[in-house]
Amino acid sequence: MSFLAPAYLFAAAGLAGLVVALHLIATREPATVPLPTARFAPDRPVRARTRTMQLRDVLLLLCRAGLILAAGAALARPIPASSRQPLARIVVADNSSSVADAAAVRDSLRALLSPGDALIRFDSTAALVARGTDTLPGPPTSRTTGSLSAALVVALRTAVSLRDAADSLELILVSAFGVEERDQATDSIRGLWPGAIRLVRVAGRRDSSAPRTPAFLGAAADPLRYALSPAPNPAEGDVRLVRATPTGADSTWAAGGPRTLVLWPAAQTEVGSDTVGAVSAGDFVVVAPFARDARRVPGVGRVAARWLDGTPAAVEVRHGDGCIRTVEIPVPSVGDLVLDPRFQGLASRLTEPCGTRPSFEPLDDAHLAALAGTGRSARVPARAMGRARVLQSPLAPWLLAAALGLGLGELLLRRKRAVALAEAPS
Amino acid sequence: MRQLTSGALLDSIRGVHWPARRVIGGAFQGAHRSSRVGSSPEFMQYRPYQQGDDPSKIDWKLFGRTERVAIRLSHDDSSLRTVVVVDASASMAFPPDSLAKWELAASVALGLVAVAHGDNDPAGIAIVGGGGTRSLPPRTRRGTVANALQLLLDTTPGGSAALAPALSAVRNGRRVALISDFLGDADALLDAARELVASGREVYAVHVVAEEELDPRSGGEVVSDPEEPALKRPLDASTVGAYRAAFAAWRDQLAARWRAAGVAYTLAITGEPAGRVVRRIVAP
Repeated sequence: MSFLAPAYLFAAAGLAGLVVALHLIATREPATVPLPTARFAPDRPVRARTRTMQLRDVLLLLCRAGLILAAGAALARPIPASSRQPLARIVVADNSSSVADAAAVRDSLRALLSPGDALIRFDSTAALVARGTDTLPGPPTSRTTGSLSAALVVALRTAVSLRDAADSLELILVSAFGVEERDQATDSIRGLWPGAIRLVRVAGRRDSSAPRTPAFLGAAADPLRYALSPAPNPAEGDVRLVRATPTGADSTWAAGGPRTLVLWPAAQTEVGSDTVGAVSAGDFVVVAPFARDARRVPGVGRVAARWLDGTPAAVEVRHGDGCIRTVEIPVPSVGDLVLDPRFQGLASRLTEPCGTRPSFEPLDDAHLAALAGTGRSARVPARAMGRARVLQSPLAPWLLAAALGLGLGELLLRRKRAVALAEAPS
Repeated sequence: MRQLTSGALLDSIRGVHWPARRVIGGAFQGAHRSSRVGSSPEFMQYRPYQQGDDPSKIDWKLFGRTERVAIRLSHDDSSLRTVVVVDASASMAFPPDSLAKWELAASVALGLVAVAHGDNDPAGIAIVGGGGTRSLPPRTRRGTVANALQLLLDTTPGGSAALAPALSAVRNGRRVALISDFLGDADALLDAARELVASGREVYAVHVVAEEELDPRSGGEVVSDPEEPALKRPLDASTVGAYRAAFAAWRDQLAARWRAAGVAYTLAITGEPAGRVVRRIVAP
């Protein structure tokens, strides 16, 4: 049994002691003896306070003391004793695409987790996986970018829920700690954790930033060739860029493996065209007076590029084991737009294999140190975490009811005593 | 009531006389010197006859010898009708266990009746209590003292009654003895006594005080007036001194006022033998 507000219980105990003392130092009328010359005694109040070692009105005293103690105990909010563990770990495991090998994360978790610990997995979102069990679920691989901010938010929420279950808390981050996993809110959320954080770094994914050269099927003087860097390789690869009408062989090739068929028609008619000022793909934005053929719109699929007005400029769809990306962006044959780095970046982006992950860059030491925080120990007192909810004491209503009953009993006893005194012969 | 019934009281006052405090006039033969010029053979003096004197009182033998018209004056002994008024209110029933105040008052009353009766004075008694006034008219016949004793024995002090009306009603007594604690209608009683004194009566006031009243126990009790139960006062070590002082001042003031009114005031404290109190009262 523990109390959420034990000060009330102590105060009630003191008050009950005072009541007992008042019953010992009671105001009572001493025995009356006849004296014909009583008129010559000084006129003072007859009732006198006398100390006695014998408790008077024991039943009334019990009612009063019980009332005070019950009310105090109710306000102290007793809760049944819980099995508090000395230490609870909150292990946050990186499940994003930044991690090179999910098995490494699993091995780390196996070494870190103990029964009663909380396991949180995160990629772009975070969720509490298990708490209070020793079952170690296998981490599935995610293809999305991780978010340390989301992971820290869930870790803080979990820490608050563990406040009354453990004496100390320890937060462990198992992650590749890529730059992409940190955002502007990460430092602020990190500041909410009152202590240090233990960081366990696992290997990040292999760097996929090495440029890939698509197989270019088009005219030799196609200006798009000059926009691609490095220069397209006619040899067969994972990406095939077709500037003409695709054939069945192209489709079969794309469906036969994890390949990407980029359909970027070279022939653009001027009929029904309009101009649009810009197009974007990922982080690349190209501003130019593009002559867009309103009749040629890409089909339904994942949008890979959009015009300025929001309409899709390139979409990609799954096709067998690969995918087909259709690009409806005209490539001007005049001017030097194809030599613009932004256009070149746009072209490179649109000729990447489907589902290409962004490049991985590990966090530098300064950011890692800020994330870990200062302090020799990563353990923080559980009470340092803010209270998330008001714990309900199951005994408090019963104690209040008992106090109410004792109060009524005390009232009845006093009334009975007053009646007895009034009826007693003077 | 041990003193009343033991006979020791009457033995202790045997031979005691209760002379009148001053020369009185009276029609009946008695032991007290009267101011009346009577037929007593005891010569006092001659006085020249004055207009208005009884001619029968002229000493004709003296006129024959000296040719002076004079009347013979002589002492005349008169009897003194005595009424003893006893307070039998609740305040006299104190202390509750021994009733020492009432016993002393009753013993003194009986003693005074006996002394007066022994002087051949008609003696009577009036007992004023909560149940009314029970009286025995002044008599000289035998058994008067016994009757007074029986009346006293039959009386239980209690209640609250005014003494002043009973005192004013004493018309047939030339000598009135009032035995009380004067805790009732003291002022009215004093006025009635003044009227009696003014009418030529001898008035005696016997103030009965209990030893417990002089020195009450100070055990932290609350004391209450038996005649006024609502009057309750704490009496402990801190207040008993003030009580004693106030009570003493009141007694002194009471004695002074009664003496100033021409009343023979006597303080009787329980514990003193009643015979001795009687002797102090009747002492000239």
